[in-house]
Amino acid sequence: MRLDQELTCAQVVEIVTAYLEDALGAADRERVEEHLVFCDGCSTYLGQMRETIALTRRLEPEHIPSRLQDELLAAFRGWSPA
Amino acid sequence: MNAYKFLADGAVSPFAGFRWPVGAWVEAGSADVCRLGIHACRIGDLPFWLGPELWEIELDGDVVAHTRKVVAPRGRLVRRVEAWNEAARQDFGASVLRRTRTRFGAVAVLGGYVGDIERHLATGRVPLAAFAAARAAERAGGPIEYERERSRQAAWLADRLSLGTD
Repeated sequence: MRLDQELTCAQVVEIVTAYLEDALGAADRERVEEHLVFCDGCSTYLGQMRETIALTRRLEPEHIPSRLQDELLAAFRGWSPA
Repeated sequence: MNAYKFLADGAVSPFAGFRWPVGAWVEAGSADVCRLGIHACRIGDLPFWLGPELWEIELDGDVVAHTRKVVAPRGRLVRRVEAWNEAARQDFGASVLRRTRTRFGAVAVLGGYVGDIERHLATGRVPLAAFAAARAAERAGGPIEYERERSRQAAWLADRLSLGTD
């Protein structure tokens, strides 16, 4: 894409969740996809994110060890926006 | 209208992951650019969406034209463009390299793009090489030169692959 429309890899990584959730406008979505055509690194990253989401969807609560569950819950409870 | 579509190996859509059947109509319901619909390329759009397989696709319904693509509510793959093969990809890359070297190889700063393109081609990253060539042109002459380089790439593809005109 042209310089005035270019996304860096760091920017793609920042907005990849919005891309996957279909939360980007058409223009931004196109910028991401145009970047993905020539950027193997970001394509791989997107694939890994998709795979992670697919695997996570298959998880049931009983698949998570109770200790890890406690740690995650504690982390989420302690989380606050920066 | 007939248009073209780059797909990943196995006729898989690179972004949606949809495996395309050949010859059967695929219904998207509506045409909403970058969200819903069958997305395809006019010849001038091809260099932006390079991929492993190139297919001719028939679009039906109200086709929406966008800057870099066309979108339709339904479409079907008509035929694979077999001429877009490894030899053609290499020749395309070589043409991009040759033109960039001729135009900018001796120009300070821009000459570095020639080395970049050589490296990308050596690792089979033809889309990145084509992008680098367009970027070199843009650095030399602004956004219009980016578009012109992409147009030259599209013309090369149309000629080499014997594609119909827009």
